[in-house]
Amino acid sequence: MDVLFLEAPYSGEVNLCAATLNYLKKEKYTKVALYASVQFCNNLEIVKQQLEKANIAVITSKPDRTHVKSQLLGCDNYHSSLHLAEKELQEIDAYLYVGDGKFHPLALVYAQKDSAVMKEIICNDPMRKAMTLMGLDDIKTKLRRYRGALLKFFSAKDVGVIITVKPGQEHLRPSFFLEKIFPEKKFYYFIDDTVSFNQLENFPFIEVWVNTACPRIGFDDQLQFRKGVINLNDALNAKEILSTESVINRI
Amino acid sequence: MPIYNPETEKAIAKIKETKAKVVCIQLPDGMKPYAKDIEEQITKETDARVLIWLGSNFGACDIPLGLPKLGVDLFIAWGHNPFHKKKEGW
Repeated sequence: MDVLFLEAPYSGEVNLCAATLNYLKKEKYTKVALYASVQFCNNLEIVKQQLEKANIAVITSKPDRTHVKSQLLGCDNYHSSLHLAEKELQEIDAYLYVGDGKFHPLALVYAQKDSAVMKEIICNDPMRKAMTLMGLDDIKTKLRRYRGALLKFFSAKDVGVIITVKPGQEHLRPSFFLEKIFPEKKFYYFIDDTVSFNQLENFPFIEVWVNTACPRIGFDDQLQFRKGVINLNDALNAKEILSTESVINRI
Repeated sequence: MPIYNPETEKAIAKIKETKAKVVCIQLPDGMKPYAKDIEEQITKETDARVLIWLGSNFGACDIPLGLPKLGVDLFIAWGHNPFHKKKEGW
């Protein structure tokens, strides 16, 4: 079977609205990390020109799972996802996201949960010609709940690991590393097509869940997991995550 | 399609190039109301039968399983570009 992806690019002009430019000027920002969703990321020339005119330096990168530079996916929500050096991250004043909705820019907030400081995300929506700001306040409650699930994972004996079978989402083999790191725990592997939240209650012996499908499930769908959920990457690195001076340990 | 360019001409060109007889189209929620227009354009300009994916379209990681069993020759997903899965998981 052949597969074709069509990006469905935004039909209008992609630029920074007056509110975004005024905010950057008011805050005296001099350097930003620029990202956009697929509908906008191949048409950022005007945005770059506007930033250059405002004497704002731009850095960007090709995050882990993306296809082109400056593109942002919702699943590139880990500290290392962006492939920006620590020095570069320290130098930027903020992230600048071009696109609509909250799903993609929230990845930039989650990606900073293990950082020492959190930098704000300036969201510029070319369709609404509007600017919004995003930061720790947008995820504080979720991060507290997530940290609670991490602590619960540490003490749990019976852990449910959710594996989905679609090729782009399936992570069965990486999940087996859990057994090596936590030999004292019993891991039960649950296979599904799309995560069936309404089935979780049918397995009452599970104390906490580990999600291996889209990492945003571990954050955005927390309330669907009464026993708590963490993502595989964080389960594998739980000890390090909970022992650092980071955003998630200060909230 | 007022906001996003559906690039239907690219879909039609791919169908002709691959000589696909059965095509499954997958649209993000915001484009699902335009499935009728896309289906009509494809069936008008090609001989392919169009099947419309009802469910999720979370990303390029979300390609449905089992389509070849239905005789689907070509799967077209809108709103995404190729996904680069990390071998080590995350």
